[in-house]
Amino acid sequence: MMKGCMGKLLFVDLSTGAFTDRPVDEETYRRYLGGVGLAARLLYDEIPSGADPLGPDNVLGFMGGLLTGTGAVMCGRWMAVCKSPLTGGWGDANCGGTLSPAIKQCGYDGIFFKGIAPAPVTLVIDAKGPRLEDAASLWGKDALETEEILRRDFPGKKRPAIAAIGPAAEKLSLISGISNDGGRYAARSGVGAVMGSKRLKAVVLAGAKPISCADPRGVKDLSKRYADKVRRLRLPRLFTGRLLPFFGRAMGMKLVVPVDGMLLAAVLKKWGTNYNNTAGIVSGDSPILNWRGSVADFGRRRYRKLNPDRMRRRETRRYHCYACVIGCGALCDVRDLTGGAHSHKPEYETTAAFAGLLGNDDLQSIYVCNDICNRSGLDTISAGATIAMALECFENGILTKADTGGLELKWGDADAIVRLLKMMAAREGIGDVLADGTRRAAERIGRGAERFAVHAGGQEPAFHDSRADPMLGVAYAADPTPGRHTISSSQYYNPSHLWEFVPWAPRMTKPYAKSKEYEPGDVEAAKSAAYICYKQLADASGGCLFAMITGVQHWRLFDFLNRATGWERTAVDYMEAGRRMQTVRQLFNLRHGIDPRSIVLHPRMRGEPPLREGPLAGRSLPIEEMVRGYWTAMGWDETGRVPDAAARAALGLDAAAEDKS
Amino acid sequence: MNRKIPVIDYGLCMACGICVAACPFGSLDLTAVGRDGSGNAFPELAAPDTCTGCGLCAKACPIDCLAMDERG
Repeated sequence: MMKGCMGKLLFVDLSTGAFTDRPVDEETYRRYLGGVGLAARLLYDEIPSGADPLGPDNVLGFMGGLLTGTGAVMCGRWMAVCKSPLTGGWGDANCGGTLSPAIKQCGYDGIFFKGIAPAPVTLVIDAKGPRLEDAASLWGKDALETEEILRRDFPGKKRPAIAAIGPAAEKLSLISGISNDGGRYAARSGVGAVMGSKRLKAVVLAGAKPISCADPRGVKDLSKRYADKVRRLRLPRLFTGRLLPFFGRAMGMKLVVPVDGMLLAAVLKKWGTNYNNTAGIVSGDSPILNWRGSVADFGRRRYRKLNPDRMRRRETRRYHCYACVIGCGALCDVRDLTGGAHSHKPEYETTAAFAGLLGNDDLQSIYVCNDICNRSGLDTISAGATIAMALECFENGILTKADTGGLELKWGDADAIVRLLKMMAAREGIGDVLADGTRRAAERIGRGAERFAVHAGGQEPAFHDSRADPMLGVAYAADPTPGRHTISSSQYYNPSHLWEFVPWAPRMTKPYAKSKEYEPGDVEAAKSAAYICYKQLADASGGCLFAMITGVQHWRLFDFLNRATGWERTAVDYMEAGRRMQTVRQLFNLRHGIDPRSIVLHPRMRGEPPLREGPLAGRSLPIEEMVRGYWTAMGWDETGRVPDAAARAALGLDAAAEDKS
Repeated sequence: MNRKIPVIDYGLCMACGICVAACPFGSLDLTAVGRDGSGNAFPELAAPDTCTGCGLCAKACPIDCLAMDERG
């Protein structure tokens, strides 16, 4: 048996309280590696077609990465997987923190829950094995408080890793996620609502099983080389937050100049993802005023208030997820704002969600919104997007004070934004209408509200503008989990150096005109396919997107995989595994009745009509042609359906038949 | 009383936390803040009485910045 994996999965039937270990053979690992790949293949079989995402037939999984715990740095991420109640298709959400190694140290590559518990429960796994404990006293408590109580009361010596949901997930908000390590979130796809529907309040993991590695010395050599490069990164002292708008201007140039991806790691070390607070607004990356505006509407005086240097002043310590040598997170002191203890610093997505998108320049309110979301469990991306929709509905008379309980909604009104967010978290009044995201809210409100409901296939897009990055538009429109910014983009691909390892991946080493990225064709299609296959590999391994962006020539994923498992596979072979995983995710959607062509970007996301001002003025995406090209490059047909032979191959059905014969 | 405890080279440590997760006894924690002026929280032997000197932390460290040494 290869190394790196734990060789089995745990299935928990919450309806009956039964635990079942399920072994996994090496051939299955070879095909799907672990993490999201292995989970997608399993849940393709386990979740019946048409299953209610909030019913007993849905299966919620917590997956560790194949490389987690092997000594490979930047491989500590876990994934929540299920059928998404938000989109009706495949759902997954990726998170850092400390849960991924804990899953494996309990002896499993993944833990799956089916059924619905008769009363709230917590899963505990420690030296005594797995058990369900009564969680009635925790039900209703926020996610952070729940974790504190469980940690305080945990009887064992080992510090447990804990994942928990907050009240929004208990109330089945379709835009709720799962918290881990004090507010790191598996936020997307509505995974929190699925956990809430199963009355599973928390997961407490305190195993101490060793995680094997075929070549520990070899893996350490790779880790050391990467860590040395990161350690040496230092931005010049004069490169302060005030210069980031100029950085943004360079990012928004009409010429794309491929740079070494380690530059991003240096920036992340200093500011975390908040480097993009101002750079993104200037470059056109950050959508403004519900995707209808630009930096011209949210001017310099206002965006300068979001200078990430100001956010660093509240930091009390930097935060690293497990196995991370970059450390883009931070804990900050917000007791004067929320009355609570220290909290995780708002990420860029959160800042963008509650600042530029809503015309809000009150930085303090961003911390408050972040805290409300982290405690209740609301996904900051979807929550901000839904508030943006509500503001625009109010502006256009579609919502009135009669609908909002007297609350006047205005762009940039921080107090109103905070009050509305609290109502969403508690499902009170208009908050109940909005608590399931833009698509459901528009259906409930009617009166043309869907014009302002910016989503793709039911999921709100993250705050990186597809009009600035057509590859990102393809990911928003064509991934089985639409609207996700972590799947693929040219900003990820261009520094990846994937082409040095995978001959079919297009080479991007010379400056080229940005306009070329708007031309559908084989090159753009191959770039999308290549990065998406590579992303599946990283997700299966527990890899971090930011390590991916630094480039394969630095963070050597293919070598890590061979040395940790003992396999001797080529990069091309691994990329085929990535293609297989993505194909299974696509097949999951098809099995659950999602027509790929039905996932349509909101017109603003594709530049219809184009913006009149700002760096993206005049830009629109030929998105349908680009998506068709991507589907074809993946080996699917022009409607996004997977031909039978390719489907059988991806699912391993032909191999199974051969084994039996 | 065991003879050895983990000793960390803070000049090399990247605060990745792998050693903390590897410790079966909760002896290490990421509580050494500001060793290099970066604000990083580095590991330290927060509960020395629970350390058995098993060396799993040193074995797990991906960059060999943690070694087992005689208990001082």
